[in-house]
Amino acid sequence: MSWITVIIIIFIYLFFILFLGSSAGRRRESSVVEYIAASRNLGFLVMYFLMGGAIFSAFAYLGGPGWAYSKGAAAFYILGYCALGLVPWWLWGPRALRAGRKFNYVTQAQLFTDRFQSKALSVIIAVVSVLAFIQYITLQMKGSAYIFEVASGGRIPFWAGALIAYVVVVIYVFYGGVRGVAWTNVFQGAFMIVTAWVLGLYFAYKLYGGPSEMFRQINEATATHLLVGPGTKMSFAGFSSALLVSVLGFAMWPHLFMKAYTAESERVLKKTIVMYPTFAIFMVPVLFIGFAGIMQVSSDALGAPDRILPWMFINLKFPAVIVGVVLAAALAAAMSTQDTITHAAGSIFAQDLVEQLKKEKHTDKQATMWIRISVVGFGAVSYLVAIFGGQTLVALLLGAYGSIVQLLPLAVATFFWPRATKAGAICGILVGVLYNYGIVLQFIPKFWGIHAGIQGLVLNFIVLIVVSLITRPMDREHVRKFVTL
Amino acid sequence: MSNDRENGGYGITVFRPGTPPGVKTREIIFFIILCLIILIQAFYYLFANSAEPFVLGLPFGMFFIVLFIAIEFVVLLLLYFAEAKDVAEGGGS
Repeated sequence: MSWITVIIIIFIYLFFILFLGSSAGRRRESSVVEYIAASRNLGFLVMYFLMGGAIFSAFAYLGGPGWAYSKGAAAFYILGYCALGLVPWWLWGPRALRAGRKFNYVTQAQLFTDRFQSKALSVIIAVVSVLAFIQYITLQMKGSAYIFEVASGGRIPFWAGALIAYVVVVIYVFYGGVRGVAWTNVFQGAFMIVTAWVLGLYFAYKLYGGPSEMFRQINEATATHLLVGPGTKMSFAGFSSALLVSVLGFAMWPHLFMKAYTAESERVLKKTIVMYPTFAIFMVPVLFIGFAGIMQVSSDALGAPDRILPWMFINLKFPAVIVGVVLAAALAAAMSTQDTITHAAGSIFAQDLVEQLKKEKHTDKQATMWIRISVVGFGAVSYLVAIFGGQTLVALLLGAYGSIVQLLPLAVATFFWPRATKAGAICGILVGVLYNYGIVLQFIPKFWGIHAGIQGLVLNFIVLIVVSLITRPMDREHVRKFVTL
Repeated sequence: MSNDRENGGYGITVFRPGTPPGVKTREIIFFIILCLIILIQAFYYLFANSAEPFVLGLPFGMFFIVLFIAIEFVVLLLLYFAEAKDVAEGGGS
């Protein structure tokens, strides 16, 4: 029974991760700044994988090959945004880091809330982030559930597959905090990179005799598959605006933004940004897997394009040990994103919602406990959403992205424009978020195929500027603290 | 793009007060280069919306994107080392 071997390997991996993540935070004090920001002392290697683990998600590992398989050249956008996503962070990452040290922030909303002196803003950001996170986590759970389904030949049902991996994640996030997340990501990241290269190249050579020949055959069969624009699966405006919104929005994701507070120094932060494009290069062979599938299986036979990676394994008759290792790597992709998100969601819910709305402050110990409780609560809620909700993988991510990028004007205003006011900030973000939801819920028609996030962003900036200019400026000493960081 | 106290200290402030002019120029140049790289990636189809020729085993469009990822990496490295030099000399941004 080869599926038993596969499952055993996956469980060995899960136990190892559980052990690594839970023990990472041992012998550390139980405080908010340790739990959320690792006492602000993570070094380069850990930072690099911490940030990388977040992008090497189920979207990259299952969705990426799925896009390459079903949409062809549109998948190049994934390479572009993986490579460029952290570049804008060069502008706000170091500033956020300095602000965090100076004013003692551990979350993104704390920075904006302090700058604009508004609890309402904290609540808006917390609610938007947590909702976006639920969508994001759902995607990862579907990914892990597919993996268990494939590994067991359909014996492990969806609800159990999603549950097993996630319980492991919640346990080590609960105990290990961001340090647990970081150390598991180092292992998971290295594991994924190695398997991705081996696999992508193996498929290209084994099935076609090399990538050139593979692409030549694809090009001969469907001349439009390796192109974008009219007559292909993605329009010009769609490609450009999806890439731009992803690049602008990437570092605005609260779980990434708040990692600025974990870095040991600005040099560490900048080194991470410099090295980040290497993750995009690691994505190239992942896309090969999807391209390699094109001549092997018809999309009708496959069902959902996201199943292409698992399908390739099952049908190409690999030894069970290898299938186990590869599926564990795919699971690592989903889990290394789940842990960061779950950790951030718990932190944001407890710090930006609970603490803000409470009259008396918790002690540090109590606040840390609240974060841990929120981690478990968030885990339970997103699990229920994953089981009872449904949409396709990529649409989910892009939909959530649309709302998160609306935090961008706040960052720009905080660090560069002292004239921005509380009213301007609140009106701007509300307009941006509501517009995006209007499009997602189809109250507002889509405009030229341009990504909804970009449209919302333009409105958001206009509203922020106009409302700020017609309201009274905020205290000068206060606002200048943030532009002179 | 001013650093002074125009608009009563509420003007757009791009640089920290006291940033040397040389550093400002360098940061603006790198900013423009990186923006161009982002735009070239976003509009790659204007330059390379073609499967052929195959370069290094990749279709031309994909090769073009990977090439610009490599260029981006080099540009970031240069920026990093230029700043590291400042830090070593005791200045810095």
